[in-house]
Amino acid sequence: MFAYITRRLLLLPVLIFGVTVLIFALLSLLTPYERASLYVTDIPKRQGAIEGIIEKYGLNDPIYEQYYYWMVGRKDPDTGEIKGGVLRGDLGFSKVGKQPVSQVIGRKLPATVELALWAAIPMIGIGVWFGIMSAIHHNRPIDQALRVVSIAGWSIPTFVLGLLLLMVFYANLGWFGPERLSSWAVRAVQADDFTRYTQMNTVDAVLNLRPDIFLDALSHLVMPVITLAVVNWAFMLRVTRSSMLETLRQDYMTTARSKGLKERDVIRKHAVPNGLIPVVTVGGLVIIGLFNGVVITETVFNYPGMGSFLAQAAISLDVVSVLGVTLISSIILVFGNLIVDVLYGFIDPRVRLE
Amino acid sequence: MKKIMRRLLTNPTSLLGILLLLGFVLIAIFAPVIAPVPERSRDAYMIPRDGFSTTPQPPDEEHRFGTTEGQYDIFYGVVWGTRTAFRIGVVITIFTLSIGLVVGTISGFFMGWVDETLMRITEIFMAFPFLLAAITMSSVLQTVYGRAEAGPIVGIAKLLALVTFGHNPAEQVDPIQLQILTGMSAIIIFGWMTYARVIRGNILALRELEYVQAARAIGSSNLRIMTRHLLPNAIFPVLVIASMNIGAYVLIFAALSFLGLGAQRGYADWGQMINFARNWIPSLSTHWYIVVFPGVAIVLFVLAWNLVGDALRDILDPRLTGSRA
Repeated sequence: MFAYITRRLLLLPVLIFGVTVLIFALLSLLTPYERASLYVTDIPKRQGAIEGIIEKYGLNDPIYEQYYYWMVGRKDPDTGEIKGGVLRGDLGFSKVGKQPVSQVIGRKLPATVELALWAAIPMIGIGVWFGIMSAIHHNRPIDQALRVVSIAGWSIPTFVLGLLLLMVFYANLGWFGPERLSSWAVRAVQADDFTRYTQMNTVDAVLNLRPDIFLDALSHLVMPVITLAVVNWAFMLRVTRSSMLETLRQDYMTTARSKGLKERDVIRKHAVPNGLIPVVTVGGLVIIGLFNGVVITETVFNYPGMGSFLAQAAISLDVVSVLGVTLISSIILVFGNLIVDVLYGFIDPRVRLE
Repeated sequence: MKKIMRRLLTNPTSLLGILLLLGFVLIAIFAPVIAPVPERSRDAYMIPRDGFSTTPQPPDEEHRFGTTEGQYDIFYGVVWGTRTAFRIGVVITIFTLSIGLVVGTISGFFMGWVDETLMRITEIFMAFPFLLAAITMSSVLQTVYGRAEAGPIVGIAKLLALVTFGHNPAEQVDPIQLQILTGMSAIIIFGWMTYARVIRGNILALRELEYVQAARAIGSSNLRIMTRHLLPNAIFPVLVIASMNIGAYVLIFAALSFLGLGAQRGYADWGQMINFARNWIPSLSTHWYIVVFPGVAIVLFVLAWNLVGDALRDILDPRLTGSRA
């Protein structure tokens, strides 16, 4: 276990280095002109200005030197100010967001985290429950029905489900709306007497004791949360089901039954706790995956998070923004996976990771 | 193999999947009969337009599924979109599988530092969230292809154009096709890693078996051992996984198209057709047909693959064989 964690930690810098190299390789497919927004916010229209910028920031230098500048930043020879530098948290300037990329991400990330956390509740809760039911009734009609329902959910493209929900609940019934808040609530959260502790509307509303804003934020989350949950149920069901099926075939299940325990207790006390161990890991991975899987959902519902920003930037071919978001998301994914893997070793004593 | 087929055909869910797939194959083959190509059409895959009005028109006798914004015929698009879906799914599978096979076989066969290097590279590619990576890659490729001279990268597009459309590599790639190829390359570049890892695992298990040692003892070359002895035995489970991924690839490509990074406006592609609906969200209750028809097509197509795939995975899962729980 210890050796495994050490190995993973030692490989972590290699992995992160590789990620940055790959991102930079994609950047270097751009022309120096297109890459200028790594360092400057506004390219002057003046004749010859762009050549000056390319010269100043070494955008025509050998590629490994440029990688170095990109990582640690490049000193402006005139003002002495350091510009760029991923390690300094400078990811360049976003043309779409009209702000430095890192600031845009900082502004949009809380919304995405909020959506992902809310979505995790029904997704994992109901998905796991489906999986348990499916395993207990293996190959009987309930199992077949639950599996077909989940596979159907899995087969629906996120945007089709999202548009259908919008059609019914927004266009027809008018119950829930797109975006993050109604316009009155937007004004309320921007007011001086409302403190933005976390930038997450539901959390901030609770902390500010504003039930009306909490409910408004929640009603805007309903449709994207349903969308994310439905398209991910199948995965949770599959994992839970196969792990439960394996547990149900263990000898200690027979022992429990032969002691005369009621079937209900056999399932509840012996099968479920053991069968759910792998689900913990997968649940963790799914939540991490959610941060990245929300691109389409956010776009459909016009929800202003990282995902919809990425989509917008990609369509506008604002590659500097796109690569910035991708870099951050990959780093989150790498660390998330590591944490989940290590936790798994602690939760399940049978696991001996080699 | 026979046993697997029998189980697939007796299981009601997988049987439904197979029947749906057959239906789609028939629609794809008979597309020119079901939705005839208008005489003056330059490219059969560009959906014919009936005027230029922006408001979508509901289904009537002439346009059985109605028209989208810009008067593209939805019925025509849904029918011809079947061909696009098969094409995209199959070609992406061929390419991801080939890359995975090469990387996995070399890695598993040579072990040591070759294996270590290749597996680290594989992990780096896996560190990117798939959909994000595909979106990123297509926006980068579109920027590059958008320039007058694209340099060596255009080679990727030409190879894909040859396999996908049978396009002559000596000629310029058709811009309509180029945009689809961009989306496809993006998915391929970030889609091969699972295959590489599975193949590597299988090869590692096989290479120590007696028959491989025997082949080595009689002096077979490395290449021969890899291609004649190891691959044929390691490939079957991967082929099954790969064939079932066609649905997933179509889904991901549809997502790219929906964002505007896949097929071009007006191309017979389901995701692209649904893209039109984004401008009509508040009035979707009257213009329901612009989402529902292409949407149902994608759902049924992907569902068919997933139904078969789900049953197949159950059949092939060794932990569940003989289970009566």
